[in-house]
Amino acid sequence: MELFTPDFGLIFWMFVSFGVLFLVLWRYAWPIILKGLDQRADLIDKGVEYAQNAKLQLDNAKEEADKYLAQARRQQADMLREADKMKNQIIEEARTEAQKEAQKVMDQAKVSIAQQQKEAEQAFRDQVSDFALQIAEKVTKQNLADDKAQTRLVDSLLDEMESKN
Amino acid sequence: MKKFIKYIFVMLAVLLPDFAARGAEAEPQSPAVAEADGAHSDEGKVNPKEIIFEHLGDAYGWEVPFDHHHRIPLPIIVKAKDGGFRCFMSSRIEHGEEYTDGGAVFTIAKFGSPHQGKVVEIVDGEEYRPLDISITKNVAALFITVVLVSLLMLWLARWHRKKGSKSPRKGLGAIETCVEFVYNGVVKATLKEDAPKFAPYLMTVFFFILGMNLLGLIVVFPGGANLTGNIAITLVLAVMTFFVTNIYGTKHYWKEIFWPDVPLWLKFPLPIMPVIEIFGMFTKPAALTVRLFANMMGGHMIVLVLTLLIFIFSAMNPVAGGLTTVVSVGFSIFMLLIDVLVSFIQAYVFTMLSTIFISLAREKGHEGHEEHAK
Repeated sequence: MELFTPDFGLIFWMFVSFGVLFLVLWRYAWPIILKGLDQRADLIDKGVEYAQNAKLQLDNAKEEADKYLAQARRQQADMLREADKMKNQIIEEARTEAQKEAQKVMDQAKVSIAQQQKEAEQAFRDQVSDFALQIAEKVTKQNLADDKAQTRLVDSLLDEMESKN
Repeated sequence: MKKFIKYIFVMLAVLLPDFAARGAEAEPQSPAVAEADGAHSDEGKVNPKEIIFEHLGDAYGWEVPFDHHHRIPLPIIVKAKDGGFRCFMSSRIEHGEEYTDGGAVFTIAKFGSPHQGKVVEIVDGEEYRPLDISITKNVAALFITVVLVSLLMLWLARWHRKKGSKSPRKGLGAIETCVEFVYNGVVKATLKEDAPKFAPYLMTVFFFILGMNLLGLIVVFPGGANLTGNIAITLVLAVMTFFVTNIYGTKHYWKEIFWPDVPLWLKFPLPIMPVIEIFGMFTKPAALTVRLFANMMGGHMIVLVLTLLIFIFSAMNPVAGGLTTVVSVGFSIFMLLIDVLVSFIQAYVFTMLSTIFISLAREKGHEGHEEHAK
């Protein structure tokens, strides 16, 4: 039966054909194709991993954002409270400072008033003594006149002084 | 592909009227028979056995559709008895003529001779069968397959070189899917770290077989040769797997054959197990050979028989013939579709078994594992 007896020519050419095909593909096709396939598989694996991570991060991001928001609010409240406290303190400080200053000014004023009073009293005393001296002088000059004249004189002098003043 | 199908339709449209005319003037014999029975059978007589075996076997020329007088001539290369090689076209001896070249007379052996249908040299009136390495129909189909498979794979390789990690689409995508299927599903899954070493051989085997199987299903010129249904082809493939398996076999593999882990009486005075194991070495490739050969030949044969049924029944009764035509054509189409599936499955099975044989021969065994453990 021809079907079951292998033909030498066909065996020979089959070896040759397979050899040629194998060499061509082995040299020019398989390394490139298989490397390409492996590289693509790696790339896809990496992509999937990356996407998974990204999703995870996205899921976490909302939580994190909420956390940050709450934290920010707390910080804001703290800051406001702090500021309020500082404001009150500053006002308080300003007030005490102002009081102190006012007290100082008033004290100085009191001191200067007292001094002026003293000076005025002194001047008055000096003037009074001066007037007394002048009166005494004039009285002494007219000692010969009567008592009436003397009284008149004193009165006139006093009037004079009064009018002078 | 669409264009190709269009071509077939155009060809049919041109040739059918011619056919109908011929059919009308001659006997109710269809062109398929005319094509099938070739030069041998006489008018009107359908000899199914002859037709089937002619179609399954090899030929020196390549049939063209609807014309059984002319064939595509192919070169015949023979080593004549005087020791010199002779090369001439098959058209010179196609119809039983004698061709003389440098004193050597060649012809095709007639029906009844031990070398029936083969080229013989006539020496002193006796038929002498020379060493024959002709480019027969099968060899030519082999070359076409080689060219086709290389072109497809080089095309895919070019894509990978140019486009990097981008995925191809359409036709190239389909090819790449097959490559990936075989590489990841069979070679890598079975051989693990040995995969890159044996992948080129196994992938070449797969695509070569697949190419031959599918080309064999195309009925007209570039296809139609029953390549994988020829025992020479499958034998060569199996022998190569045998060599790869045994050349790359590990120490453990050879120990398992000559001194397996069985009770001593099974291997010492009478080497029962070693003999069985050595026998097993050869049954593996034999199984590979016969499986692929029988499956593909069976597919071709069923389609041929279904077609021939039409002519057998037509010879009995025109009505029965008409009915059989409808049934047979339906079944033939169904069988051809099944054969497309079988083509793929058989290429897959051959590759998978080769991979498994290689992986069994690559086993490191317990010693290796223990050494690793230490």
